[in-house]
Amino acid sequence: MLRSINPITKLAVCFLWLGAAMLVFDPRFQAACILVPALALVLLNRTSPLLLLALMIPFCLFGFGFLTTSVLFRKESEFALQMAGESLIATPAFSAGIVLFLRAVACGMISVFFALTTDPNRAVRSLMVSLNLPARVGYSLFAAMQLAPDLAAEAQQMRIARAMRAGRPPRRIPGPAELFSLVIPLLAFAIRRAGRTAIAMEARGLSPTTPRTIMNAPGFGQNDLVFAGAAFILLCLCGLLPLRF
Amino acid sequence: MTSDPRSPDVTPVAEWQDARVRYPYEQRDAVGPVTLHIRPGERLLLLGPSGSGKSTLLLTLTGLIPRSIPAEVGGNVRLYGTDAAKREPWAWAKDVAQYFQDADQTLCGMRVEDEIAFALENRALPPHLIADSVAAVMARVGLPDEWRARRSTTLSGGERQLVALAATLVQDAPLFVADEPTAHLSPEAAERLHRLLMEKRPDHSILIVDHRLDGLVGSVDRVAVLGPDGTVIAEGEPRSVFREKRDLLAAHGIWRPVSSELDRALGDAGVVPPRAPLSVTEALAHLDPATAPPDAIAKAKPAIEAFVAKRQAEPAPPEGGSRPLAELKQADCAPFLGPVVLHGIDVAIREGEVLGILGANGAGKSTLGACLAGLLPLKGGSRSGPTGGLAFQRPENQFLTGSVREEILTALPKPMPAPEKLRRASDAIATWQLAGLESQHPFTLSQGQKRRLALATLTAGETWPLLVLDEPTAGLDAHGVSRLTEEIAALRRKDRAIALITHEMDFALRLCTRCIIVGEGRILAEGAPDAVLFDRELMKRARLAEPSCAPARRWLERVASC
Repeated sequence: MLRSINPITKLAVCFLWLGAAMLVFDPRFQAACILVPALALVLLNRTSPLLLLALMIPFCLFGFGFLTTSVLFRKESEFALQMAGESLIATPAFSAGIVLFLRAVACGMISVFFALTTDPNRAVRSLMVSLNLPARVGYSLFAAMQLAPDLAAEAQQMRIARAMRAGRPPRRIPGPAELFSLVIPLLAFAIRRAGRTAIAMEARGLSPTTPRTIMNAPGFGQNDLVFAGAAFILLCLCGLLPLRF
Repeated sequence: MTSDPRSPDVTPVAEWQDARVRYPYEQRDAVGPVTLHIRPGERLLLLGPSGSGKSTLLLTLTGLIPRSIPAEVGGNVRLYGTDAAKREPWAWAKDVAQYFQDADQTLCGMRVEDEIAFALENRALPPHLIADSVAAVMARVGLPDEWRARRSTTLSGGERQLVALAATLVQDAPLFVADEPTAHLSPEAAERLHRLLMEKRPDHSILIVDHRLDGLVGSVDRVAVLGPDGTVIAEGEPRSVFREKRDLLAAHGIWRPVSSELDRALGDAGVVPPRAPLSVTEALAHLDPATAPPDAIAKAKPAIEAFVAKRQAEPAPPEGGSRPLAELKQADCAPFLGPVVLHGIDVAIREGEVLGILGANGAGKSTLGACLAGLLPLKGGSRSGPTGGLAFQRPENQFLTGSVREEILTALPKPMPAPEKLRRASDAIATWQLAGLESQHPFTLSQGQKRRLALATLTAGETWPLLVLDEPTAGLDAHGVSRLTEEIAALRRKDRAIALITHEMDFALRLCTRCIIVGEGRILAEGAPDAVLFDRELMKRARLAEPSCAPARRWLERVASC
């Protein structure tokens, strides 16, 4: 269901939620910004909660940095502490750190919501049709978005090749040293891949100037209106949480 | 019907005049000087050993070399009478459809239907026309409708090749340039594609580079052959080239149709076909057991028996004569991050055995091979045996270092003394014809050279008791395949186990001691190649084809029954 929403509608809604998450310094609001997209993903997109938890790990680590910074270097977070001080839970350093931690996770969850419910192909086509994004920029963006899953597959091939030379099966979970050693080869792959994609597109007639047809571009419909309206109302309700409790 | 390019009113579709290409920092030209043309409506087959510059020559056609791939280009390259460099490469797309050697160079990573529509979108055609063209080409190439929403990068190598072909065929350009379009296709798909590509249309010209000649040469108007130095060494009508230049082509390791060898054998036996044959059936047409003179049959029989015998493997070791080296039991196999494609697989490979793994595109052969080698975890069931070596379908995936020599050296066992390593590396370089390329980065090699390097790294040491070779002949020239054949035979004599994933039925017949046919999510059949590969019903069900010597084998059976 969420996949059928126009990516631009989703992008606008996500930006709105991200903006609110950035500006409202209240742990209940931040928690709501995490829970609402998470519930939407689990209930409407059938996303595995385990996958969501796994995807949140980097954001949690990032947020944990804020938390420790707030607790250990209080002076550097004066503005945040001041904002946190005005909220109901007003234990200065720790509560400010918690807000910042939750904010990092909330931003992550909103981004993941967009990523898991949006086909990059549809997103790019929608941007080209609705916002007149130039085809060259659009397809570059598309190629960059597609690179993430391809890098994972390529990394796996590299791991197999290395394991084979070492005469053992590849480890199920790569260690930090193995991951680090893959960085440069993967960068080289990304560069090679970008060059090949550019040649493939050029050979099939992608030009910087001439007009082109865009097939399968998603249009706007009633679903978009319902989604945007519901998202706005939910955001307002989340905004009321700090006032009511 | 071809037209004479020398007549003043006919302009060649494409033309190279003393064209030569030299890549940056290279001491010699990659190709050329070449003078060659394609006439309107002509179907030209370009042959040459690997590294002779065929792919480079094709890339000059629309100016991708030097505009997008840096190189120095000398001489003239003209398209429809215009200097190719006068337009940007993208501006030639409506006139020239280019299928590159590596399907990943043709595809952009989109969903299948978007990949196919891309070229037509760039021409700003109306959406309904694009939708109709996409549906039509998918039907022609045989792509199932369910593939429309699949990302091209999630397909198997052969499936990607089919999508890439559809994406270029949909352009319906007056000149279609195809570089090894069937390298990873199953025999049935290759035959269908050859038929489709080579449809005679007076306003459409084809320039094709391919080493799977059987089924293709019959539709070709002219053959041009590049020598190892990148110059044209032979050119002409296929029948005359493959008979008159047979020895020259063989000497340079250039592919010839199987019928060419039978033609020679029959000639030596004194029953030469009246005209140079382009298929085994044609070669035997004058020797119909029902009508041909008995003395001609008698003369031909030993030659044909030798021809068939040469294409079959040495007998398999007796069952139980060697122990299973690796075994899958009730294995469920799935590609990385993909769903299970093979269920409940029971297969074992023994020491000294060459096991053929055959099947249609997307049947799960590569996944099975990686599981058998112990390099891909199973989703169910169990595996026993040591980890094997794997020759990846895309040789690039195998390269880990910055030079050819280093690549071979690092593949040798760590405890091996350095002088021994150097000696082995030098031997491998000489054996696999990589001399002169030692310092080159593996990614700068031609496809054939990359394949040879990948195979050299696997066979130089004695690291792996089990080797899985995934489509090892793709991109190799005849010399390369012959080298590989010898190497596999030698490994077999050393009791190494080899699993061979291939679409080349002749190659499987010549080398395999046992074959399994994969399809419908399981193993469809298993047995001696002699029994399995000539089972027409089974081959049809598995979307494969009989080996090319099948008509000769049937001829022998008919003669024996007379």
